Amino acid sequence: MPRYAMVIDTRRCIGCHSCTAACKIHNELPDDMVYNPVTTVGPVGIFPNLSLSFLPLLCMHCDNPPCVDACPTQASQQREDGVVFVEDSKCVGCLSCIMACPYGARHHNHATGTVAKCDFCKHRLAIGKLPHCVATCHQKARIFGDLEDPESEVSKLVNGNRTVRLLSELDTQPSVFYIY
Amino acid sequence: MSNKHQSWGWMLAVDFFFAGAGGGMLVLAALVELFGNSRMSLAGNLLGPAFMCIGCIFLIFELGKPFRAWRVFMNPKAILTVGAWTMSVAIATAFVYAAMALPAKAFPLNLLPFDPIVWRDWVWAGKLLAVVNLITGLVVATYPGVLLGRLKGRPFWTGPGIMALFLLSSLVTGTAAHYLCGFVTEAPSVVVWNALPGVFALLLMFQLVLWIGYLWIKQSGATENEAAAARRWTSGDRSLAGKGAFLFLGTLVPLVLALLPNPAAQAVAAALVLFGGVTMRLLVIKSGDDRTYLPGEKRYNLRLPNGDEAFLHKSAH
Amino acid sequence: MSKNVDLNQEGVQVKKSACYFCHQNCGVLAYVKDNKVLAIEGDPEFPTNQGGLCCRGNAALLHLDHPDRVNYPLKRVGKRGEGKWEKIPWQQAIDEIAARLQDIKQKFGPEAVATAGGTQRTDDWARRRFMNYFGSPNGFHNAHLCWIPTFMVETAIYGWCPFDLDIGNSRCLVLWGQNPGASGMPEMHHIKELQDKGLKVIVIDPRFTETAAKADLWLPLRPGSDLALALSWLHVIIYEGMADDDFLTNWCTGYEELAAHVVDFSPEWAAPLTWLTPEQIRAGAVMYATNKPGNIQWGTSVDQIGRPAGATMHARALLRAVTGNLDLPGGDLLTGPSKDFITDEEMEANDVLTAGQKAKQLGSDKFKMVTWPGYQRIADLTKKFWGKAPTAEWMCEAHPPSVFRAIISGEPYPVKALLVSATNPISSYGETKLVMEALRKVDFMIAHDYWMTPTASLADYVIPSAGALERPTITSSYGCADFLLASQRAIQPMYGRRNDYNFWRDLGLACGQQGNWPWETVEDAYFDKIKGLGYDAKTYDEFVENQRFHFPEREYSKYKERGFATPSGKVELYSSVLEELGYPPLPQYVGPTENEIDNPELAEKFPLVLTTGGGFMPFHHSEHFQITPLRYLNHSPYMDINPETAAKLSIQDGDWVWIETARGRIRQKANLTPGIDPRVVFTQRGWWYPERDMRDPVLGGCMESNANVLTTTADVDCDPFSGAWANRGLMCRVYKAEQAAEKEVC
Repeated sequence: MPRYAMVIDTRRCIGCHSCTAACKIHNELPDDMVYNPVTTVGPVGIFPNLSLSFLPLLCMHCDNPPCVDACPTQASQQREDGVVFVEDSKCVGCLSCIMACPYGARHHNHATGTVAKCDFCKHRLAIGKLPHCVATCHQKARIFGDLEDPESEVSKLVNGNRTVRLLSELDTQPSVFYIY
Repeated sequence: MSNKHQSWGWMLAVDFFFAGAGGGMLVLAALVELFGNSRMSLAGNLLGPAFMCIGCIFLIFELGKPFRAWRVFMNPKAILTVGAWTMSVAIATAFVYAAMALPAKAFPLNLLPFDPIVWRDWVWAGKLLAVVNLITGLVVATYPGVLLGRLKGRPFWTGPGIMALFLLSSLVTGTAAHYLCGFVTEAPSVVVWNALPGVFALLLMFQLVLWIGYLWIKQSGATENEAAAARRWTSGDRSLAGKGAFLFLGTLVPLVLALLPNPAAQAVAAALVLFGGVTMRLLVIKSGDDRTYLPGEKRYNLRLPNGDEAFLHKSAH
Repeated sequence: MSKNVDLNQEGVQVKKSACYFCHQNCGVLAYVKDNKVLAIEGDPEFPTNQGGLCCRGNAALLHLDHPDRVNYPLKRVGKRGEGKWEKIPWQQAIDEIAARLQDIKQKFGPEAVATAGGTQRTDDWARRRFMNYFGSPNGFHNAHLCWIPTFMVETAIYGWCPFDLDIGNSRCLVLWGQNPGASGMPEMHHIKELQDKGLKVIVIDPRFTETAAKADLWLPLRPGSDLALALSWLHVIIYEGMADDDFLTNWCTGYEELAAHVVDFSPEWAAPLTWLTPEQIRAGAVMYATNKPGNIQWGTSVDQIGRPAGATMHARALLRAVTGNLDLPGGDLLTGPSKDFITDEEMEANDVLTAGQKAKQLGSDKFKMVTWPGYQRIADLTKKFWGKAPTAEWMCEAHPPSVFRAIISGEPYPVKALLVSATNPISSYGETKLVMEALRKVDFMIAHDYWMTPTASLADYVIPSAGALERPTITSSYGCADFLLASQRAIQPMYGRRNDYNFWRDLGLACGQQGNWPWETVEDAYFDKIKGLGYDAKTYDEFVENQRFHFPEREYSKYKERGFATPSGKVELYSSVLEELGYPPLPQYVGPTENEIDNPELAEKFPLVLTTGGGFMPFHHSEHFQITPLRYLNHSPYMDINPETAAKLSIQDGDWVWIETARGRIRQKANLTPGIDPRVVFTQRGWWYPERDMRDPVLGGCMESNANVLTTTADVDCDPFSGAWANRGLMCRVYKAEQAAEKEVC
């Protein structure tokens, strides 16, 4: 069984928002929904001594997902390969998972009343394709793969680099790793 | 649009208020039953579970999919599921308990050819129900605080402190509600009823101290996010409602009034306690809008459309 | 890929198509069934984008069948701009337009018909071919702002202009006012990879852009002061011993004159003009000159600084020469035009236009580099040397502001018809009030476009244009480089849309150009272009499916055998071609178009320096504001202002502010950022609001936030070489706008 993970190399990201657009468009998200924003951090400093970086976000597909525990209906689930997703027909829209997620990765779909989120494009994983945000990235700043496979690029990056995880102090154990 | 309804709304706060007050009423009634060998007023005993029912209705309307509400019973690991089950049991047993005091000759029981409250005189049943109500009432009074306190990503809530605040508020609003109910139907023990303002005055004192302590700890707290969330109460946009409406009008003023030896003043005090309880929950729920924002995220969200922009609605015409 | 589409179903074909929303033309795989595109994705095998797509590319399917697209020929039935249209058949539209054009031609001469094109939104050799046969020299683009003046000045000096950088072998890359991080994704991808291997990157930009953030050296110069920087770099390189003496001695003329010319242009001289420190200036020069081979990437910023533009291009070109970075491995390659395939120029029929008509080209008397006088001189030289000329479409165009003025004034002669091909001059040309007046005044206007733009709203006829996925694409820099990438259309045009080639061909045939349009379809024409390459393909589509690319073997240092395509056969540092055309043979210092030193009174009234025009995601020029998911990510116009300046003006982040120059004022929202000098502000370009009333006078709010309301096209503000007008280095003032002001009337 694979264990999916993503490594985001922020040194490569240029904040072009292509991943955000690709996800919104191809996954046909409602207008007001963004699964994977890219935030701009900076410019920090005083002109002209500045730094600027970009932080691509998405669901962290935590190993210890607080959203799944918070869901009273078992609509929020985690697969064995690590993908955290919402089974729409079971969701009552109580927003408990939204409140439980420290990463803002869950969204209330106002059209359906239920909660929606990034599911690593599991419909694409099923046919051997990469998630849209990964496939579309010109900069190859998002790298996706199987952590169980020691030969995969994500394994090598996670093992060979100083990767960090966001809000690691909360012990959510994200499957999304960042290289700064 | 993006920032609207991405967190809990006022209906959940109102649910927490009613459920909490109802839970508090059950606890108080059970304590009086078990250790005072007396009862609270019939109105008070009926109002407890009724409050919980009202709370449930608000909860259901808070849901995005109200017709699927039954599904919230499905995950035993989720606090919300535990709360839903407990509240259901509490409502049932509390009504059964309250019914013991329903006069058989009163409407609507007088329409029946027999007295359906067959357990009316079973003393042991009253005690047993009181034990159940004590436990479920405590759970109902506390679980919203547990629910919030466990949410790691909401800095104002996270931690055990919020649990104590919710329990305390449930007890104080429950006591105040019982006191007011005593005006509707007389309590079997006037002594107990007369003691209630003193009880909620004591609880209000705790509430005042605990809240000041809570805000202080949060503001000097573990993370910048927690401090920022607390600052909104102490000096920011929530300070008027937080300090003025809740801590002053909903806590300090009733504390003073409750100590006056005057039933009218004490009734006003009890009403202000209820007002304070609902205000506190509205503010606490609203405070959950502040997440542990990630770098750059606040500005990103700020730059997204509000939802009323013309380009979002053009396709409609 | 939509979640609900099964791409493995029977009958799905994968077409090798291309994006068509900017010059990069990224490779796109289109999954097609029954002439319907089910899904698209970036083509992983395409050498530039390697599977990536930007925001716009991802939106191709939304663009393809957007409810706002123009789908059928429309004929105006109300007053101009009233928004009342009648759908008419294609041939009726062609016949009526042709009849009107022929009538104008008869009464006022063919030169009374002008055409405008959008940048890489149509294939313009066909428009030029039509115009040549029609007899009018007055076709134009926004070419003047888009590297074309640079191309011509550089070609005058060393016989071609590098489209192609041998960046894989380079050690230093200068991005001069270029931000591929927001405008050229595939390019940025390569830069970042090479940087990891040691490539030094210098970014010259007033803004701390996405690209500047990744640079090894960022030089935030005063907008429009590029010339002072280039001259002082020449000074440093020459006087601090970093010049390539061997190259200068053997392959250049005029070195002594140049050295004498730049003797006073020290970094200390340039510092107050550029707002850089002498150390910053020197550091840039040293980094570029000592990390050889190095490149100066092509970019369009210097084309947009107005009065000093030509001299700046000249000085910048000399930097390549004095460092010997021309045509060597890792340097700026002078490929010349493609020898292997038919170039755009060869399809344009430029010989058909008579000398008499060429002489009438508007603006060619004042601005010679990209009009017939300069073009002819340079084309003669390159034909002699390379056997081919640069494309005339782009490199030889009427001066747009002069055309607009001729429409308004009738001087030097009347211009009665304007055919606008997938461009929106109200947004994209300088000095919008002038453009607006001309568009309202012109007797007959056709818009051939994808959308009902503010410009199209004022037209007499709107003709639906086939867009991305509906058209085959050849990416070859018009034949001005030696490589070629070919893509096919995924589907035939939807509804009543036609490729612009078919529009010009049909119009040509209706105007009596029978026999001049041998290719019935674009594919026929493109097959003609590539059939000489020697690949085994019977049709254009077959070439795309089997070959797709043509990258000839690189030849370096060709000059060692053949010299350069200049009169002397050498790099002419002291340019005989420029001198012949009446321009200074060495770059003379000229201050920014508007500046505080030459015009202190202006600076008193307008104390801030304005720069406009940089590309930003997710839009391209003035397009894509209609596409909701893109607009959602960037829904309002933002201008950059330093927090220090904003505080003085009581402006907070997100406030609406007015930006005002001597030409007019616009509103944008304030983006407070330390990434810009406190003395400088930047406004976003292109903004209009398709969600608003598209009828005159609202026209989609096209004046409200439109940066070109601020720019200037007065002859005296234009570059004397090319006529390029000034988008950058202007003086402005900024003040808070009352929140309520929603509409500015056009």
